[in-house]
Amino acid sequence: MIYLEVINIVKEFGGLVANNNVSFQIEQGEIIGLIGPNGAGKTTLFNCIVGFHKPDSGKVTFKGKDITGFKPFETNREGIGRTFQIMKVTTGMTVLENVMVGAFCRTDKRNIARAEASEILSFLGLEGVKEYHINELPIAIQRKAGLARALATKPELLMLDEVASGLNHKETEEVVELLRRLNTEKKITLFLIEHIMEMVMSVSQRLIVLDGGEKIAEGLPGEIVKNENVIKAYLGEKYAKSH
Amino acid sequence: METIKDALDFRDFSKAERIGLILFTIFLLAFPWIGTGSFVKAVMIQFLLFSLFGMGWNTIGGYGGQVELGKAQYVGIGAYTVSLMMVWWKIPFWVSMPIGVLIAIGYSFIIGYPLFRLKGHYFAIATICTSLVLQDIFINWKLVGAAKGIELPIHEHPDFLYMQFKSDTYYYYFIMVFFYVALFYMNRFRKSKLGYQLRMIKDDEEAAESLGIDARWCKIKAYTIASAFVAVGGGFMAVYNLYIDPYSVMDLDLSIKIALMAMLGGAASLWGPIIGAAFLVPLDRFLGSWLGGYKGLIGVDFMIYAMLIMAVSAYQPRGIWGIIEQFRRKGK
Repeated sequence: MIYLEVINIVKEFGGLVANNNVSFQIEQGEIIGLIGPNGAGKTTLFNCIVGFHKPDSGKVTFKGKDITGFKPFETNREGIGRTFQIMKVTTGMTVLENVMVGAFCRTDKRNIARAEASEILSFLGLEGVKEYHINELPIAIQRKAGLARALATKPELLMLDEVASGLNHKETEEVVELLRRLNTEKKITLFLIEHIMEMVMSVSQRLIVLDGGEKIAEGLPGEIVKNENVIKAYLGEKYAKSH
Repeated sequence: METIKDALDFRDFSKAERIGLILFTIFLLAFPWIGTGSFVKAVMIQFLLFSLFGMGWNTIGGYGGQVELGKAQYVGIGAYTVSLMMVWWKIPFWVSMPIGVLIAIGYSFIIGYPLFRLKGHYFAIATICTSLVLQDIFINWKLVGAAKGIELPIHEHPDFLYMQFKSDTYYYYFIMVFFYVALFYMNRFRKSKLGYQLRMIKDDEEAAESLGIDARWCKIKAYTIASAFVAVGGGFMAVYNLYIDPYSVMDLDLSIKIALMAMLGGAASLWGPIIGAAFLVPLDRFLGSWLGGYKGLIGVDFMIYAMLIMAVSAYQPRGIWGIIEQFRRKGK
């Protein structure tokens, strides 16, 4: 059985084709990177999978079940977690409370939710900040808090939208280390959008490349860097020819 | 059992807040014996009633962050159910009031289901509209007294079953009981799963959905709870005033007051609606009776009212309680 399968997804926004016939498969336990220039349709593809957008046509199946057109909370209950590029914070919920909200989707008891949230926070090394409000924290910690929140829903497949953007070199290395641990220790399949090539190349086992809404390449990181289409998409026609 | 324990558990509040709550309770218990006039007692009853309304509104409006401006329709449903059942079939308050609450729950579900497809301002406008429509229906509906309203039959002797008493003191203690039931309920609510989920929805609805929360269903649930609270107060209003009409129990003015009191005091906090009501109910009443009496000064009370609200919302959108918390955080 195929773990996650995306078949011919098409999504248009008033004439602008954000995703055009995108198909791929993901196997359980993999770490997959989704890359592409700005506006390539990466976040749209994420949204089509988790249900924030309903694809115009195409199909998404997860563990053999058709989840096309499911609402985000329904895909979450199927076991797909998701983090956001930007964390909106307006009112005062502490880090612990945020993670508890995630844990609440698997339990009704506050004590259980609190215990699970604390466990996840200590796994991510965030015990020290659990009583802080998210907007009081540096961006790297905010990202981790967002990750903790998504992890609290106990996802099997975690989709990360630019988890390392805005982080410095050392912080990025920490995140890479963390993602590897999630994959090996918690057995979570990871699917990540990332702009930082150095990071995505080192952490991903396989890469999918989007450009202009279409999948232009798929393969091992070593193959992708040599792929003519990818070089063209990132650096322009000229570089591809001279290569 | 655990539910009751949760409701009575105020341990996560600071010492100052807990002492404040105890002193406040003692004050409320002793108040009728201090020897104030009937006007002050009436204001006090009004304060407890609006605190109850505000706490109800706080579930959907405060914790859920949905600007809800149609609570008057549920005051009306509560008040009309109690009045009509008493006039038509002589059904006692303690039977008709729970029925009124059930009707309010059913009605709020029917209204809430389509309404929560809307968001933000659109939702706020829609809530105003549904309330106005219901008011208009009652104004023109002959069977329920139309614009003239309904007078409740006055019993010769005080009657607990029909909630008829000679002295305001009895009404005072009854509304105080409702007030505390509401307070304990809200104390549990803010710590409940639904409470947490609503706060998340308020912060970021997309993120909430991605955390497995059915945002629309959560909002409907909170809206229904709020409506039930308000219907209890509506039923009380009917037996306390002994007269209701669509203008006194279903007016837009009432909806706005309920929402404003909670917002002014501090939405999404346990004390907010109480502080807001403690501030605005006396202000509203005293200004109304002092300034409203002078020719040429009619409406000045509303202006003062409006300016206060603008000042607080510009300085601290989380209301008076937000200002207090800000100082406390600075002090740390």
